[in-house]
Amino acid sequence: MRRRGALWFWVFVGPFALGLALFTYVPLLWSVTLSFFDAHNTVTPTRFVGLDNYTAMLRDRAFVDSLRTFLVFTAFIVPVTYVFSLSLALMVNRLRTARAFFRSVFFLPAACSYVVAALIWKMSLFSGVRFGLANSVLGWFGGDPVAWLSTTDPPWYWLVIVTVRLWLQAGFYMILFLAGLQRIDPALYEAAAVDGARPGWTVLRHITLPQLRATSVAVVLLLVINAFQAFDEFYNLLSDARGYPPYARPPLVYLYYTALGQGQNLGLGSAGAVILALVIAVVTLGQARWLRLGRTDADG
Amino acid sequence: MTIRRRDLLAAGVGAGVLTACGSNTGRGGGGSGPELAQWYHQYGEPGTERAVRRYAAGFKKARVSVQWRPGNYDQQTAAALLTDSGPDVFEVNGPTLDQIRGGQVLDLTELVAKVKDDFNPAVLTPKTHDGRVYAIPQVIDMQMLYYRKSLLEDAGVEPPTTLDALVDAAHRLTGDKVKGLFLGNDGGAGVLGGTPLYAAGFRFVGDDGEVGFDDPAAARTLGKLHRLYADKSLLLGAPSDWADPSAFVQGLTAMQWTGLWALPRVREELGDDFGVLPFPRDGSQGRPSVPVGAYGAAVSARSRHKETAARYVQWLWVERTDYQEDFALSYGFHIPARISLAEKATALKDGPAADAVRFTTDHGYAQPLLWTPASQTAYQDALSRIIKDGAGPERELRAVVRKVSAELDRVKKTS
Amino acid sequence: MDDALVRAGRALRLVLLIALALLFLVPFYLLVRNGLAGEEDITSPEWTFFPRQVRWGNVGELFADPSVPFARSLLNSALIAVATTLGTLLLASLAGYGLARIPYRHANKVFYAVLGTLLVPAAVTFVPSFVLVSSLGWISTLRGLIVPTLFPAFACFVFRQYFLGFPRELEDAAQVDGLGYWRTYWLVVVPGARPVFAAVGTIVFLGAWNSFLWPLVIGQDQSAWTVQVALSSFTTAQVVRLHELFVAAAVSILPLLLVFLCFQRWIVAGVERSGID
Repeated sequence: MRRRGALWFWVFVGPFALGLALFTYVPLLWSVTLSFFDAHNTVTPTRFVGLDNYTAMLRDRAFVDSLRTFLVFTAFIVPVTYVFSLSLALMVNRLRTARAFFRSVFFLPAACSYVVAALIWKMSLFSGVRFGLANSVLGWFGGDPVAWLSTTDPPWYWLVIVTVRLWLQAGFYMILFLAGLQRIDPALYEAAAVDGARPGWTVLRHITLPQLRATSVAVVLLLVINAFQAFDEFYNLLSDARGYPPYARPPLVYLYYTALGQGQNLGLGSAGAVILALVIAVVTLGQARWLRLGRTDADG
Repeated sequence: MTIRRRDLLAAGVGAGVLTACGSNTGRGGGGSGPELAQWYHQYGEPGTERAVRRYAAGFKKARVSVQWRPGNYDQQTAAALLTDSGPDVFEVNGPTLDQIRGGQVLDLTELVAKVKDDFNPAVLTPKTHDGRVYAIPQVIDMQMLYYRKSLLEDAGVEPPTTLDALVDAAHRLTGDKVKGLFLGNDGGAGVLGGTPLYAAGFRFVGDDGEVGFDDPAAARTLGKLHRLYADKSLLLGAPSDWADPSAFVQGLTAMQWTGLWALPRVREELGDDFGVLPFPRDGSQGRPSVPVGAYGAAVSARSRHKETAARYVQWLWVERTDYQEDFALSYGFHIPARISLAEKATALKDGPAADAVRFTTDHGYAQPLLWTPASQTAYQDALSRIIKDGAGPERELRAVVRKVSAELDRVKKTS
Repeated sequence: MDDALVRAGRALRLVLLIALALLFLVPFYLLVRNGLAGEEDITSPEWTFFPRQVRWGNVGELFADPSVPFARSLLNSALIAVATTLGTLLLASLAGYGLARIPYRHANKVFYAVLGTLLVPAAVTFVPSFVLVSSLGWISTLRGLIVPTLFPAFACFVFRQYFLGFPRELEDAAQVDGLGYWRTYWLVVVPGARPVFAAVGTIVFLGAWNSFLWPLVIGQDQSAWTVQVALSSFTTAQVVRLHELFVAAAVSILPLLLVFLCFQRWIVAGVERSGID
């Protein structure tokens, strides 16, 4: 009987596990191996260089800058997206009419690709010349056109990046929150009302948020991983035929140019990828721990 | 896994739905024999694609299929050379030193031996490493400064011959509706590259193989570029970038840095109302400069028909001067890479085109082979910070010098 | 007085929601406005809310452009998205069911091995995946674009969680009737699990249609371009034709919006019932 179980187990799980091993675990090990070799323009390197690629990467100002930038970016975009999508969910959830309509409108951009969104933002909404929408609006009030993506002082490009991200992602997280809100037992609110709690901040703080904790943990986790792995919208907003400017450059974009660009330094690129992975792991685990600590505090 | 898709297809084996949908070899050509894949980047000029297909069809010893590739071409070829599904023959804006040393491209020295002196040395040298030639220059591309005569006259501005004059002119030409100068949407770091350094009398890599711009004067020159940005004289965020003369002909800017290839369109739209200049000199050691570059034809070391591929390259880019002339001059403006052809070209004999040829001969510089992509990235990042952030040029340049020295050491050590 | 306050609050909320909804729709409006306008309308310094002349011909022009195989890239994207969705649903649901229901000594270890890949960012495996696929000779093939993406750990995880909460009685009855795992799965489990299939399927479909980086490096050949890569090539081309760019973008999201509007209630239901979070 047990043998039969094992057989059926592998019939069901085997194909998926095999694919995962081949297309995730093999590249993973390969990547780690490459990172210890001098792998210029080759994937079967012969010159072992130990930790040289790692020290080079950690001394590379451009890479360290991009890591630092994205730590800051994450620290900013995660709470902003969290608060924004939670607010959307709370407002939509309380609606009595046209709920499906508003939910669809906010969720619709999730179907839009990052490439398309970047295109709209770069070429029309925040185009640097007069005919961009943002500059047209500025013009009505007598303002001068702003080169949104090319100006570093003040760094207007962050406005472009943050708005495009919120537009693309807020709807998806709103849906997760909506699902979470649906699962809250109405009796809890009734009990609170009996206790004299006014709907509003008190209820939100003492009932809604604690009840949403599981959803919140998941949302924050997804947001963090997402922020560090940013690529598509940055690449399509800011790169040109000559490369990518030295600001707002996600680590993944930098690695893309290092490893798969003309430089073709695959060892260095892999080392950078491993470092990035470690940073993500540390941040995610640290934050998961922190959130869990938060729970014991709240519960205790 | 050395069997390639097209061989499978040709043999009629394993041509399952997925394979059939996924590969289009664009097979063509009138020849018989083995099949060669030849890659070109997407040229903007109409007619070029048809022309190169016509040339390919003329080769009888192989069936050459031409692949026309838009998008980031250098990156595509660099990645494809790692694999067995890359091209046999390809044009390359290089090859890079690491591609040569990694043995990814074939040594083509023997193919050009007889006519070596006929190639413009400015573009043959960067394709040469230790005396061996790794790509055959196809045509010469160069960039220069275009200016609207009428706008300069209205503002009482002379065509600038020094960097200071350029900064000043750009400022005075900037008005409510028109900007003074367009150097690309990134503010110039990408397209200018080493041009200002060369205009100040420096070089990327000196004759001694060391960094050629480790000098406070170089930092001062680059620092001047920040003025252009700080004065708000630069057009930024235009719908098309520096390579396209649209911003210039549409009157968004009074001056634009772009390529010789844009000349026909500019002339068509502006008539005689424009002139061209090299990048103006700076400092007492300076002289004007223009960047020149060339796509070269190279043969992949992973080609399964190396000899035929090399033979094809020799046939097209050494022997068929009629095709070379047609390619350079019939579709937009390029300077033929062969001196004998350039001298014959009547289209380049007068007006701004003749100026461009003169700039190329007198002031042209090409990126040396030792200037690796890693050096380029470090330099370009620094230049961008100098121009846009007003970062201290001396400090930025010091960091670049360190990085480039390390790259040069790496390159020398293992070569 | 309290009532008035509550009512005012409600009105305020509605106004805010309407304003936000309008803002969220602006990008779609821009897509259509620019896509159906002539070049001079788009670049005119005077803003016009609607093109002076609506040019439906832009759509035809797009498909006639010889430099970008747009129809082909749409077809590729459709093939890839459908194949990826079906493949993922099949493989991941089987695995999820096996992990949830079939007793096996090492099941937990396998589960953690699957779960662990959720922590590994795509960045790490990105370069060698490319090399692996190219050494298989899959560059610029649909296989190369589809097969490596068929094993997302998140899908397997969601299915497992869902099946763990699936009422066991039905399956037990099926077993009593002499159905093995295989037939129980197809005859009892799959029909009962439609919402989670719809939810995961929609998310995978959207992801496959919109994916950019992988098709960018794998689909080198123009004939293997997906619609996202084709779009990206418009923005990096030497000569930018704005109206063409926007009409292409509009066409590229149209099928998706339709799929999405049809299936969104499934996604919501799936999220609620399967606890994707």
